[in-house]
Amino acid sequence: MPIKARATIPISMSITDLTTTKKPDTALRLKIIAKIGEQKPYNCFQCIRCTSGCPSMKMLELKPHEIVNLARLGFIEELLTSGILWTCATCLKCKERCPQAVAPVDLIFALRNLAVEKEVKVPESFLLSLSAILENGFIQKPQNTVTRKLERVNREKLGLPKFREPDEKFKAAFFKVLEQSQEE
Amino acid sequence: MKVAVYWGCVIPTIQYGYEMSVRAVMPRLGVELVDLDNVSCCGTPVQSVNMPAAIYLAARNLAIAEKTGLTNLLLPCNGCYLSLSEAKHFLSYDEKLKEKVNTLLKEENLQYEGSIKIWHTLNLLHDLVKEEKIRETVRHPLNGLKLAVHYGCHILRPSTLQTVDAPENPRKMDNLIGWLGAKSMPYPEKLDCCGAMLLLSHPDAAFTFSGLKLKTVQDWGADALVVSCPSCQMMFDMRQKSVGATIGAKLSIPVLYYSQLLGIAMGIETEKLGLHLNRSPVDDLLRKTGLISTAASP
Ligand code: SF4
Ligand code: SF4
Repeated sequence: MPIKARATIPISMSITDLTTTKKPDTALRLKIIAKIGEQKPYNCFQCIRCTSGCPSMKMLELKPHEIVNLARLGFIEELLTSGILWTCATCLKCKERCPQAVAPVDLIFALRNLAVEKEVKVPESFLLSLSAILENGFIQKPQNTVTRKLERVNREKLGLPKFREPDEKFKAAFFKVLEQSQEE
Repeated sequence: MKVAVYWGCVIPTIQYGYEMSVRAVMPRLGVELVDLDNVSCCGTPVQSVNMPAAIYLAARNLAIAEKTGLTNLLLPCNGCYLSLSEAKHFLSYDEKLKEKVNTLLKEENLQYEGSIKIWHTLNLLHDLVKEEKIRETVRHPLNGLKLAVHYGCHILRPSTLQTVDAPENPRKMDNLIGWLGAKSMPYPEKLDCCGAMLLLSHPDAAFTFSGLKLKTVQDWGADALVVSCPSCQMMFDMRQKSVGATIGAKLSIPVLYYSQLLGIAMGIETEKLGLHLNRSPVDDLLRKTGLISTAASP
């Protein structure tokens, strides 16, 4: 699939005036906090260290400290529909550098999971990997490729051992895992 | 020393040069790789969509590796390393989660214990194989080469996990390069992210991340960029042309895996290291090593 053809998501959030125009959602707030591990957003003191080192801030205007702030206030719906969640490059710098052990990136991933659950604005390609794994056990089958001299090669030609996909039992088990996680 | 190896999705389906070079260099260092049967994706690609499913996949692969009875597991891909070390961490303190995962694993007669030790290519070479052994295998020292290193984000952070090297000042790949006779060049953008994880949602931004890094490495005068992650390699090497077009720069910098570089220093044939598969101009580098004076142009 050519990369350029993939749809991108517009970022359409104006975070700053949310607090004056919208009502927070307490139930969703608790749900999202339960989804993340040890690092809790209410410990954040808005020092902005995360955002100052965030590579996606320069390129895509992602401000992890604002995500943390909005989530702990309960503006979850707004975060889910904004598209901003899909601008994180997962570099983990915010998690490493936060003096309060907050981990904005973990919160972003929890919010992405919730966006999938609620079927709002998820880039389709993310869901495609899931179905590929159900089908093959991996995100793709071994691809043919070419050398710099434009010779066509594959694993066999390169002398690599045969690639093995997991057996049928795996698919059944993984399907059950997905079903179960939906019930929760 | 027998070491189990888990290749993940990207390496064995498209990044053959990494697999070939790791398979070529390890036996010379006394490491016998044991392939795992029936493994699947590591879970990274589904973390955004369904975290419990991602943890299950990671734990399942670990459980299969544990079944071999071996002490050590090699994960050459940074993404797999993060996914499996994260799952190990969660399962180490959350008994309830461990029980749930193990109930699910029972379907396939598997059980997760948490007993196997995980390694990435870089720390396996640096801390388990160690300097003396590596220096011993060098047949063609890479004297005079000035190389830039790129570790990749997912083996360095977060330090709440067992990371491969120091998060803010990693040195292991720099040392590994030094042991081959080459010089690792310090440069301010060393920790910058390749952007690969943005490919699915914001490809232009992803390309810009990679492009800016490649441009600085090229401008600083490095002979090559050395990487250790298949996703980073795909951005810097395989897509170098499109990446250059995105930022409007002419990029022409060799990019290769550390295992390929090590193989060159060991004097292994370049085709056995999969160097004919790299898209970036690695022949320029090979000529500089003086080993392949007649290396044909692409
Ligand atoms: S670095 Fe931590 S405490 Fe500071 S703003 Fe970011 S999340 Fe909050
Ligand atoms: S992990 Fe995401 S939010 Fe955190 S610093 Fe990196 S790009 Fe920014």
